[in-house]
Amino acid sequence: MTTPLLEVEGLQKHYPVKKGIVLQKQVGAVKAVDGVSFTVNRGETLALVGESGCGKSTTARLVLRLIEPSAGTIRFDGQDVTKVGGGAMRALRRRMQIVFQDPYASLNPRLTVGDAIAEPMAVHGIGNAASRQAKVQELLRLVGLQPFHAERYPHEFSGGQRQRIGIARALSVEPELVVCDEPVSALDVSIQAQVVNLMKDLQARLGLSYLFIAHDLAVVKHMADRIAVMYLGAVMEIGGKQALFAKPRHPYTRALLAAIPHPDPARRGRVTPLGGDVPSPLAVPPGCRFHTRCPFAQERCKLEVPQLRDVGDGQQVACHFSETLPDAGLDYSGGLTDAAARRLALYDAARRKAA
Amino acid sequence: MASVNSTAAAAATPVPASMPKRPGMMKRLLKEPVAAIAFALVVALIGAAVFAPWLAPTDPFDNDLANAMAVPGTEGLLLGADSQGRNMITRLLYGLRVTMTMGLASVLLGGVVGALVGFSAAFYSRIDGVLMRLMDVLLSFPAILFGLAIAAIFGPGIPAVVLALSVATVPLMARIVRGAALVVMRMDYIEAARSTGMGDARLILRHLAPNCLSPIFVFATLRFGQVILLGSALSFLGLGAQPPLAELGAMASEGRNFLFFAPHIAVIPCVLIFVVVLAFNVLGDALRDALDPRLRS
Repeated sequence: MTTPLLEVEGLQKHYPVKKGIVLQKQVGAVKAVDGVSFTVNRGETLALVGESGCGKSTTARLVLRLIEPSAGTIRFDGQDVTKVGGGAMRALRRRMQIVFQDPYASLNPRLTVGDAIAEPMAVHGIGNAASRQAKVQELLRLVGLQPFHAERYPHEFSGGQRQRIGIARALSVEPELVVCDEPVSALDVSIQAQVVNLMKDLQARLGLSYLFIAHDLAVVKHMADRIAVMYLGAVMEIGGKQALFAKPRHPYTRALLAAIPHPDPARRGRVTPLGGDVPSPLAVPPGCRFHTRCPFAQERCKLEVPQLRDVGDGQQVACHFSETLPDAGLDYSGGLTDAAARRLALYDAARRKAA
Repeated sequence: MASVNSTAAAAATPVPASMPKRPGMMKRLLKEPVAAIAFALVVALIGAAVFAPWLAPTDPFDNDLANAMAVPGTEGLLLGADSQGRNMITRLLYGLRVTMTMGLASVLLGGVVGALVGFSAAFYSRIDGVLMRLMDVLLSFPAILFGLAIAAIFGPGIPAVVLALSVATVPLMARIVRGAALVVMRMDYIEAARSTGMGDARLILRHLAPNCLSPIFVFATLRFGQVILLGSALSFLGLGAQPPLAELGAMASEGRNFLFFAPHIAVIPCVLIFVVVLAFNVLGDALRDALDPRLRS
């Protein structure tokens, strides 16, 4: 196998918490990301899922080096992103781009859409003004907008259209990796399907790799090849989509999947929701960070940090007892497959028919 | 160009083959009648100031004590004469020149330096604290005190006033720009721009500064009025325009002595100051709106 496009190892981001006005003392650290490792292969979509505040977005920004990591390595196509300097970093930036969550904040209101899409090309000195103009028209068509939209300003578009513009901007420099930070969370459901399908289309056509951050598991199931589940700044479980949905090996993954609304009323009572709250990232529990809420926690979990380990099927899990967990006998994917998948397929079909 | 592409699935609504041309910035500005009037006034005032030597009927220093304090409407003196019998029209034209130069120069100089400080503070959080504390120090001195100090060093006169008022404007502008820039810095498009790997200068000029324009415009136009009044105060203290130089503020303070016998000597320059300040304020507001693509209909 060739080297993966993106390899992240032991990535950490700790924000120091200081006290005192003149002589500042560090009294602790917010462990936003605490030792995250994963890989993204070429042409693959890896989804990062987890609750709000678990460090998904921070991980995304670390990968793009928009913030500096405290520790760990990020290798993009074999090159360590955390170590390269000015010029090489610029060259790397061209190869990875980002699509943001909020389409209303991600476009500069003072730039026309055409200028916004052309800007990354101008920054990297690709082509001349005329060729960039032509590329803008092509990109607009690619994401399903009209060429004359280039002269308009962002406020003249709807949320879904703006998100397409954001995607066009990201694609303008022909990146290999696109980091999508909850690209559809701010859109309503029918628009979500359009954008998700557009992104899948583009992936197939342009051979893109996605690091796809989301909390909507229906979207994740549709988009992802592999899924990494994060909790409190660390990865709990990574696995192929099918395996993970069919047989979640970590109690947290199970809880997450069991929380998906399910149309089967007989299920009621068999699902025990997780108790308690996510602990503060200022005081991450010792041992397994999930032990405070885990229904299966034992003495060992409070003492020993579980490492990610292979459990077959390409699945990795960070749990001491994943083999001996009692099977709750739940169909985790049931809630999703029917309604949500049909909905997405329907939109997909309609899209193809229109095209 | 702009042919309708039927393959684009997203275009749910039919679109016209070509879009009407957008009106230019100037056209948008002049659409508002109030803005158009303000614009015309500003052009007229600047024209009057620039062409004062050609427009003025007499020499500004030409005194004629026989006509001292002549009331408006006196033969040959439409707006009367001041205490030295100098033609008010001439004095006003030359005064406008000095006053507007002083106001514009101070706001421009202080505003540009202040904006640079503000953008730097917002953009480079490392130097934010130091820069803003420095601005706080500047802010704690009243403008008059700067005027005194600078006049003591360089001698009184218009350059000293401009320098003092610029220094007094810097911290105010810096705080306003920093505040506005901090809000913009949190927007995703700044991060998007950063992720393309563009340089800091480009990021600030193209993405940060244009989105901070509204408060800058509002403040600059308000400050213009304040600066003219402060300049007049400095002239009044004898630190600014030195007699016999005509300056609106100095003229007003000079006329104060004759307020009961010849009110026009003080009132007319004050009215002119009022008109200048008002015209610039209204125009500044209109300009801000015309520059914002979101406010276009």
